[in-house]
Amino acid sequence: MTSPVALIDADLTLRSFFDAWEFYRMPALTGAAAGGLLGVLGVYVVLRRLVFLSAAVSQAAGLGVALAFLLQVQLGLSASVASPTLGAAIFTIAVTFLVASDRGGGTLRRDSLLGFAYLVGAAGMLAVAKHIRQELHDISSLLFGSAVAVLPDDFHVVVWMTAVLLVVHLLGWRGFGAVSFDKAGAKVRGMPVRLLEIVLFVTLALAISVATRVIGALPTFAFSVLPAMAAVRVSPNVQVSLVVAGLVGAATGFAGYLAAYMWRLPVGTSQTLIASGVVVVVEVAWWITRLARRGSTRATA
Amino acid sequence: MPPLDFAIRPGEIWSLAGRNGAGKSTLLKTLLGLLPRVRGRLDRRDGLTVSYVPQRGDYDLTVPSRVIDFVRGGVDRGWSFLVPGHIARRHPIVREVMQEAGVLALARQSFSELSEGQKQRVLIARAMVSRPDLIVLDEPTSAVDPMSERRVFELLDRLRQRYDLAILMASHQMHFVPEFASHVIFVDRDDGVAVAGTVRAVMRHRAFVEHYGVVLSDALGVDAAPPAEAGS
Repeated sequence: MTSPVALIDADLTLRSFFDAWEFYRMPALTGAAAGGLLGVLGVYVVLRRLVFLSAAVSQAAGLGVALAFLLQVQLGLSASVASPTLGAAIFTIAVTFLVASDRGGGTLRRDSLLGFAYLVGAAGMLAVAKHIRQELHDISSLLFGSAVAVLPDDFHVVVWMTAVLLVVHLLGWRGFGAVSFDKAGAKVRGMPVRLLEIVLFVTLALAISVATRVIGALPTFAFSVLPAMAAVRVSPNVQVSLVVAGLVGAATGFAGYLAAYMWRLPVGTSQTLIASGVVVVVEVAWWITRLARRGSTRATA
Repeated sequence: MPPLDFAIRPGEIWSLAGRNGAGKSTLLKTLLGLLPRVRGRLDRRDGLTVSYVPQRGDYDLTVPSRVIDFVRGGVDRGWSFLVPGHIARRHPIVREVMQEAGVLALARQSFSELSEGQKQRVLIARAMVSRPDLIVLDEPTSAVDPMSERRVFELLDRLRQRYDLAILMASHQMHFVPEFASHVIFVDRDDGVAVAGTVRAVMRHRAFVEHYGVVLSDALGVDAAPPAEAGS
């Protein structure tokens, strides 16, 4: 990924950035939208200990894309029949259902399934890559698109997906919370546990796979973990965590792009570093507050 | 496990007794529909509402939650989670139940920082806010000290009286059963024992006396007699 500064030779200031706002609008807002959405969903990812879902889904999507190209090369199928996007979608959904439908074994089993999906995706992609060397660059750009310059179509996909999935999560957050943190109790109270689980995982898979394709794997992984880590530390409950994580994700998505412009950094790296910085600041503040509180308790005693 | 035949009615407290690994949790989860029935029949009165209090360790304490949030988490039933304002409308019930459970003053505290006895009372309040007809509890006093254990049993008894609530709870702590429970189910998968009936009847059962000794029988003033009226 190259820095946005490579695309235009200008003074690297805030003013020059906003002077050229029309040029940077789409990638900067794409970062903010993807960061905001993944930040919200990341609360479930972090609290349900699914941090490697993002890695497993992008690897599985890679295998789907590679297989689609293999079918094109080996069998001469057209791109509309052996569509890379369709291949990615099929494998993404397969991994999602594999993880969501496992009914026993808890966190350990789910971790193992995520590892299994990641390894099959990675090894499978390497095995297929041997036969489609010329298409590897296409696969890379399809899977790990660059946040530097976002195509209008991709921008609209991300914005619409963010809007729709946020509405789904706004409507269903109490249900998603119930199945995430008290599944047995939710089932006894007659809540549609299976449906809620499937919707939650499908929204996660959709957000992760689209974000990976448009802004890249590294910032997608970062946005689905780091804002939620910070939010959970400072929030009194899950609903506040969801809001804080969404805001932190959107802010770091935008600020990461801006920082990449001003300091000539790769965009995904810059977004990841800024989100990591937020986590570090929150952790330090949390520990200081905790130590201060402990000190005042001792003094009172 | 041998077949069991019993019916739980409003206002009754049933204690499900047996040693660790005897099959208590399995039986509870089967009754709740969380595990598939092997065979047999389970009849539920039309419109029966049930709440479940799992073992305390089943809750992840790393999930941020104040006591008030934790209790509110039990409000939704069926598809009510889609209804905006549903929880706000239930606020008077949330307050009433928290007051009854003695946890209203803890409302703004983090759930994870409570004592085990307080946590248990919060869990019971959470189960009560959806106004169930039956509460099923799995080992509600397994991690609490004897004084807190008594408070939990007293709370359950108060709720039973006030709301004509039926209660079924698994426990291997039998000290409070004669005082608070009206009925007992005693199971032991390894020994192939399953009996159900009134406290007095089950505690007279030879298998029960063999497992728990005569202390409890003494507490009831009953002898370790041959199997009597308990249904099995």
